[in-house]
This record gives sequence, C-alpha cells and structure tokens, in this order.
Amino acid sequence: MADTLNLSDSDRSSSSDQSVTNRSNNRSLRIAEKERRKNEAEDSFVLAVKYFSEVEEGTPVFGNDQLDRNLEVVEKVAFSKGLSPEAISVLLEFAMSLCMGNSPCVRVLKCLIPASVVPQQAVVRAVVWLNVSKIPISTQVLFIKWVLTVFDLIDAKDQLRAIYGFIFSFITEENLCPYICHLLYLLTRKENVHLYRVRKLLELQSKLGRQPFLMHLLSLYKVFCPELVTLSIPSRIRSGFKSYNLPWKSALMGVQKRNGLQVSSSISSAFTVKEKSISRKRKHCHLDLPALSSALNKEPQSDLTSRRKMVPLVQLSSFSQMLKNMHRIELPAQMGSLLGSSLALQYLDCVQEESTLLRLNFWLGCALHEEFLFCSQTSEEALQFLNNLLSVQHFLQEGFSSSEAFLYKFLNVWDGSLLRPQILGLLSNIPVIPSTQIGRLLFEPLTQLFFTSSLFFKCGLMECLNNMLLKWLTWHSVYALEDDLDISLNSHTSINITLSGFKDSVMELVHFVGRLASLGLQLEGCNTLLLSFILDFYETASDTFLKFDLPLVVMPPPGVFYPALLATDPVSVDRLAYIMHRYKLNLTSAKSQEKRTEQAFHISRQTFLEFNHYLVFMVNCLWNCRMFHANTDLHVREELLHKSNVPQPWARFDFIHHPAFMSYAVDFHQKCWPGRKAVDLDSIKQSKPWSWYLEYLFNQGFDGLKDFVHSSITKQVTPGDERGDSQRR
Amino acid sequence: MEPLGESVMRTPHNGAVVQRRSKTRSYRRSYRSCLGTTSRLCLTPALTTRRLNASRRAVKPQTLTERVDPAHLALLVKSEWQLSYVTPLYQFRHTQLKSYSKQLSAFIVAERQQGLAVEVSELQNSYRVSLSVLQGLTESENDPETVLIQIHSKPLFAKQDEPQRSVWSGWLTCIQGSPEYLCSLSKDFTCLPLFGSRGPEYLSRVVKSWFQKTFDCCFGPLEINHTSLQWFVALWVDCHSQSNIQHLKMLWTVPAEPPLQIMYTVDPQDAWDLWNSVKKEEAAKEAEEVGCIELEEVSGYLEALKSHFYRHFRLDLSAGILTQVSTALGLAKDTGRIKMSNSRHVIATLTLLTECALLKMPI
Repeated sequence: MADTLNLSDSDRSSSSDQSVTNRSNNRSLRIAEKERRKNEAEDSFVLAVKYFSEVEEGTPVFGNDQLDRNLEVVEKVAFSKGLSPEAISVLLEFAMSLCMGNSPCVRVLKCLIPASVVPQQAVVRAVVWLNVSKIPISTQVLFIKWVLTVFDLIDAKDQLRAIYGFIFSFITEENLCPYICHLLYLLTRKENVHLYRVRKLLELQSKLGRQPFLMHLLSLYKVFCPELVTLSIPSRIRSGFKSYNLPWKSALMGVQKRNGLQVSSSISSAFTVKEKSISRKRKHCHLDLPALSSALNKEPQSDLTSRRKMVPLVQLSSFSQMLKNMHRIELPAQMGSLLGSSLALQYLDCVQEESTLLRLNFWLGCALHEEFLFCSQTSEEALQFLNNLLSVQHFLQEGFSSSEAFLYKFLNVWDGSLLRPQILGLLSNIPVIPSTQIGRLLFEPLTQLFFTSSLFFKCGLMECLNNMLLKWLTWHSVYALEDDLDISLNSHTSINITLSGFKDSVMELVHFVGRLASLGLQLEGCNTLLLSFILDFYETASDTFLKFDLPLVVMPPPGVFYPALLATDPVSVDRLAYIMHRYKLNLTSAKSQEKRTEQAFHISRQTFLEFNHYLVFMVNCLWNCRMFHANTDLHVREELLHKSNVPQPWARFDFIHHPAFMSYAVDFHQKCWPGRKAVDLDSIKQSKPWSWYLEYLFNQGFDGLKDFVHSSITKQVTPGDERGDSQRR
Repeated sequence: MEPLGESVMRTPHNGAVVQRRSKTRSYRRSYRSCLGTTSRLCLTPALTTRRLNASRRAVKPQTLTERVDPAHLALLVKSEWQLSYVTPLYQFRHTQLKSYSKQLSAFIVAERQQGLAVEVSELQNSYRVSLSVLQGLTESENDPETVLIQIHSKPLFAKQDEPQRSVWSGWLTCIQGSPEYLCSLSKDFTCLPLFGSRGPEYLSRVVKSWFQKTFDCCFGPLEINHTSLQWFVALWVDCHSQSNIQHLKMLWTVPAEPPLQIMYTVDPQDAWDLWNSVKKEEAAKEAEEVGCIELEEVSGYLEALKSHFYRHFRLDLSAGILTQVSTALGLAKDTGRIKMSNSRHVIATLTLLTECALLKMPI
C-alpha cells in the first residue's frame, strides 16, 4: 500500500510537471534541474538504506563519515516525506540489533517517521531484540514510546497480540513499566486476561502503590473479567493514559499532512477521556445514570468458550464495530447505563429479551418514583434526567412502561407547573389505554389540572393530547398494515386491544378533548392562542380515516365549532374551513369505500348528520347570508335582533361582514373602486366583484377557505340566490 | 384509586404466552403493562391491585426456634434494623452465595482503598464477608429463602491475635409476598423486597452499591407509614394474652407551632380490654375470617384511644400522625426502623413489612 501511495505521489508530481513544461519553456529547465536533484536525493536515500541493511557488526562509529552522511540523508527524508515501510524495517533492524552501538541506535529511532504504515513484522522483530541485545533502559523506553506513537499505523496487530505474554514479561522492569502497561492496554483482548497476570499486576501494585498506569490496565482487565479483579476508580482521576512528551508526534503529523494522508486517529484515539463527573456529593443518587460495566455473574450454563467470545458493550466505540459484533454483544451489569450512551441505545432498539427490558424498567421506575413521586424537586439534575429520558423515548419512538406507571400516579399529585414541559412530553408518549380505564387513569386527574391551571397549561395540555393522538394513530396505521386483516395492537403493546377497543379509546380521547376545549374556551373568553391549539388537535382528528386508515370520524362539539367560526381572527376561521374540508374528504371516501367493498363501516349516521348540520350552517353564514335560519343551533329571538338595531343581522357573518374578514373587504373595496369616497361593502356582492373578492381572499393565503369553497360550494352563482347544495352524505 | 377487582388476579401465572409472529419491531411488546387487562407478562398491575391488605391473620404463637437456627434468630431479634425496599434481583442464585461473599469482600476492600485493585478470589484480611441462607425463615412456598449478610472486621487498632468482630449485618427477605406478584416475574428474577441493615452507614452504602451493580436492582428507603404503624399497634396488642406487652407506647406528632410531640403510654391491661371491646365477636365473623383482624377493627381501636385521650387532655390526636409505636414485643418508627424483641412475632412483623416493600415497587 505504501508503495502504491509513493508511486501515485510521484506520478502526480510528474504529471503536474509536464503540464507546467507545456506552458513555459523557461520554467521547464528549472523543473528539470529540480527533478534531477530530486532523483539524486532519492538515489542517495536508497544507497543510505542499503548501507544500513548491509553494514557489518562492529563497524566503528567515531570518525565514520559514511555513517554520518547516510544518517543525515535518512533524517532529511524522514522529516520531510516520511519513511517507506521497507526503510522502516531496515532501520529498525539496524537500530535494535545495536549493530553499531547505542548512539546511532538512538539517532535512528528518533527519526523513524513512517510515511504510511509500519510493518508489523519489523515491530515484532524489534521487540524480540529487546531481550536479546543489551540495549540501555533509556533506549528501550524510547523504543516503546515510539511503538505507542505509531501504534495506529502498524499494519496488523495479530502477531503482536500473539507475543502478548512476551511483552507482559517486561512489566517487571520499573522504568519500562508505565509504557509497557500502555502498550498492553492497547493490545489486551479477553483471552489475554488470566489470573496469574492479574496477580503479577497486583504484586506490582503493592510494590509501586497507586499508579495510574497500573490502574488503567487493571480496570481494562476488570472490564473483561470482573470475576477476577475488582477496582473502584476515584472520580477525580481522569481515565486514560497520560500523554507523554513524544518526540515523533509533531513530525509525524507534519509528514502526514504533507503526504495528504488522513490517518485521523493517531495516538489520541487510544485515550478515552471521560467526561469528568461532578465531584460534589449528589443528593439525588437515583438520578445518576449507572456507568457501563460488564456483568459479573453471567448465565451459569453458558460455557467458558462461548463466554470468551462475548464482547462487552463497553468495548464498542463505533456503530460499525457494533454491527460486526451484533450477535455476541454482552449486556452491561446495569441496564440503566444504556440510557447514557447513544450507541447503546441503538442496541437497545434491537433487544428482544423481556427480562432485559424489565431490568431497565425497574431501574427507571425506581428513579422516577424516588425522585419525583416521593419527594418533588426541581434541581438541574432532575431537569437533565427528564430531558435525557425524553430524548431516549423520542429516539425509540415509544414510552417506557415504568414511566407510564409513574405518570398515572404522578398526575394525581402534580401541581401542573413543576417541570411542565417534561411531564407533558412524557405524557404524550404513553401508549393506548383501554377505554374502560382511560377515564380513571387519565381524564380525572387531567380535568382537575386543566380547570385549575393557567392558560399556558391549558395550551400545553392541548398540544400534549394532540401529540398523544398522533402517536396512537401512527401506531395504528403502522401495525394495522403489518397485521393485514387482524387489526389489533397486541403486537406492540402488552395490552390486547382489538380494533373496536382501539376505536373506543380514540373516541374517548377525542370526546374528552372536546369537553375540555368547550369549557376551556368559555373560561378563557375564546382565547385565540388556546383556540389555535384546539384547532391543531382537530386537524389531526379530522384526518383519521384518510391519513391513518382508522374508520372513525368524530366531529368537534358545538363549543369548539361556533367559537372558531365566529372568531375575530381570520386564521381561526380559515383553519376551521380547512378542518371541515378534511372532514368532508374523509367522510366521502369512507362512504364510497363502504359502498365499494360492502364492508360494514361503523361511522355512525349521527356523525354524518352532525357534519351536514355544521356544513349547512357554515355555508349559510359565510355565503348565503342566512344566518338565523330555522333549524340551526343559534336561536335568537326576533325581538332581540330588532332591539340590537343591527341592520340585516343575517348577513353580519358573511365573507364581507364577518369581523375576521371585514378589513379585507374594506381593503378590497378601496382597490376595486379607488375613486369612491363612500364605502359600500354590499356592492361587492354583485356577481363579478364577488368572484374577484374571493380570488383576493384566497390570494391572502387563506388556503383553507379556498379548499372549503371549492369542495363544498358547487354552484357559483351570485350570493343571495339559493345555492350550494352542500348536503352530502 | 379504587381496586380494579378480581379480574386481574385470575390471570394465569404459568406464562402461557402465545408466540407472536416475528416482527421487525417487537420492542414494545415486552413491556409490562401497568394496566389491568390481560398483560402479556401476566403481571398484576402495579396501580390497581397492589394495596395494603385490609385484613390479616392474627399472630399465631409460632415456635420459630424449631425451624430457624437459634444463633440466627438471636441475631435477628434484639437489635434495631434500618429498612429499605429492593427491586427484584436479576440472576441471583442462592447456590452462588460463596462466590458472592468473595466478590463482596473484594468490592468493599476496593471501595475502601480507592484506586487500588483487588483480586476477587483472594481471601481478604481486613474484611470477611459471609452471605448465607437463613434457613427456615419463610412462610409460603413462593417465598425465596432469606439471605443473611454479615461483615466481620478487625478494629483499627486491634492486637495481632484479636479475633474479627461483626461490624455490619443485614438481610434480604420476603415473607408471604403477594403470590401474584412473585409468580409474575420471570425466573431470571429473585424477589427479596425487604432489606434490613445494621451497622456503619458507609458499609450499608457499599453493600447496596454492590447489589445494584451485581444484580441490577435498586434500593430505596422504606418508611413505615401511619396505617402500617396502626397495624403494628393492633397486632401487638392482640398478642397480649400470649405474651405480656408490658406497655403500649405511641409517639404522635401534632402540627403545632412549635411542633408538638406527644408520648401516649397505655397500661397493657387497659389496652387489652379496650381492644377486646372493639374487636368484633368471633361468632359474628364469617367462618373464614375467624382469627383475622380487620382494618375497621384497627381504625376503631385507634379511634377509641384518641377519644380517650381527648376526654382527658382536650386534644384531638386525629390532627397529628403516629410516628412511633413500641411494646415489649417490638418497636417501629416511621423513619423505617424496626426492632423485633420477641422471636415469636418475627414472621408477622416481616409479613407486614414485606407487604409495605412490595407496595413500593415501581412496576
């Protein structure tokens, strides 16, 4: 690989040289000169390397000009371009064999900057030389430091791992020990951890005391074999080996940069710098996520060989690694720790085992109960914990059953303001509740909270219930498709719910929101903000059949419909029109499907009647100027209308006079008849201006109205006439 | 919250779980339901059925000494225990107690000397831990065996030949735990919900932390609430005919400014007479309820005690709460401390406390 890289490098340079030659003759001479010099340099480098490979043992060092010259050549190349793998092999062999004594050895080691990779073979040979030749300790240390620096560039590690025991034996050398520990840390696999090695390390520990390098190696041993060794690391100690002052590091980075290589991970990847945990003593111990650690007592039946192959989750650091080991991942000792790592969450998503999830739920439930139910608190940690939980649930796209159980209890003691966004967020994640219990578990506490809390709580709750409905409907649409005919939710909730049971629950929820909304609007004087959140909900509710394939349509109650229709802001009216339009599409397509498949749908006659009723009123009000027609919900006595002195009361809520649209009508009037002094809005009602006015309104972005008018008003005749056969069933 | 009724109790325990078609997403299905419908895991739902029993058996004179090692029994009685609840232990095996002992002692040593590794299999000089089964301390066949944990150590400035002394002890137990709950757990879990400990706080903390790390369980404080304390009053007074209670002492905390604590002591004979007058006639009870104490009897008894107090001191104790109860048979504090002075009533006390602990389970 290194060769090809070098080749391509020179190729590139020569081709670029050529292009330059074509452009200017004058420059080409200079380039040729440069090329020649470069070739010369290369030749001398090759010769130098050749010298080092052939030099005889015992050649004197002092006054050896040849050696000096060759060393200089090698150093120059090394620090500018880096050395090829072959050169590294030769030089390392030369140095470690102490062919010419210690001083050239040190000098060579210091310039061993690889251009691409380091051949494993060379490193293994060098390690063997450590034992054979009498290398001074300081040089040995230098060599190990060099191995640590280039560790990630070594082309394979299998042979190095094979001599693990050999490397381990150097650990007794006091000066070498820290570096050997680091090297072992990088090499250790589960099969390398043995009791006799643990004992050796402990023996060293008793001799050297608390040494970070021993601690880190031992803690890795603990990850692999917690049954052999135990250790608790003080929280103030940073994990990872300390960064030595390594002479090659900057040169190596420079060479790599120049070669355009991105061997991104260099040595830094070996250090896992954990986020420093807050050292102060925590009051809320239940809110700490446990650390990922390997389980101590595994399944007793699993035999030793299969256990050897398991990979602790702690050891995985990337998604690709996880995918490779998917079949043999060992779960951590505490399931709660999964919530702290995004990688582990990916794995949690595929966990099938029930007891595994149960462990997680026990932990989570206990934390929630202890910290929020048995003592309420608003600390930063509590906030962080809940936000973390929310993002986990968001990632998994479902709520945990322990948080569900917690919420049912918590709602009864909640004041509605403590951690409101988080609690409402958790609440919107709860799965479908059977309709027999939904009232007791959910509606009773929520009703109390709703009527005793501020406007903002009301809006927040509406949003939460809308999200809840959305999630329920989404689950339904996903799993109903999977299950074909057998539309039941039992595949993904532990509660068996049939389609009709599910429909009942959804219906209960929509009716409940209808009740809350009607009363809430009254209490808050038809507040526009609240109305907007309520209309959000009905936007979801109006599309249950078309979007989510659920044959159920529930109309809004009059307490929501009329305040929205008679609202003073055009946005609410427009959104109501859109909602009515969606209702219409859902009902008509349900109807036609019913006819086509002859399947008995359970959308009741009552729903159609209600819809028609609303539709007629809306058309009469906005279009026909016949607002106080008989058979409507609004009964105002004639005398009262007279008394109010409102001229033409029946036309006060048409598109022109509706308080929400009046300003548009005036604006339109001015644009249409700029010369007129007196504003006569009634003149818009003539056929031509009326259609222009509608066009004008639609251009203001009232798409809901546009859809509504196009779908529900069939004959476009002048207002006042009998029009709009809107009754559809 | 009202109990749901019997429908939930009848869910089969044998876990006749229908294997569902394999799904791409089968994650959610393994969730325990907290509702009463037929749950996949056949669990009694947390919210609806688990409540404190409204009726319990009067204490039978039990001769535990025949079943339980007297040395163990002596350890259990006569000292005050701090109580906690524990969620079910994962992969706990009663057969592995020896190796757990080694692990725990290594863990304690490692925790004591932060940053120094400790070999697990080695025998620790400074701490000797023994986990053992407290044989015989069970009541129903569903109850897992009680586990006793003892930690021995030498005092800091001990002589060379001085023997190690017991510095900390604790136990995990489950006496007459709700069979519905116990059976609903898969066999990976061992439910020993009641944890009592005695000794230095740091050792309690380390032991708890080891259990949490090893069996993926959680500990939480177990307070003995007002109702449970009232039950203790009734259960102990009811025993007076068998073993003299000598006195009935109740500590009430009344919300006044400054806070008022009232120690209410009743003569044993008076307490017994009053109890008999409140207790329903055995004949009036239905056949199966003979020998049981009903919740209404308990509250009736407490009402009578309160009204007696009111008559003398013009102070209504209903406004306050009961925080401590003691007789010659035992002592119970609302902070979760308990002392069982008479071995004959150990089972009854632990049964009530197991119930309290199970009520604390998050799911």
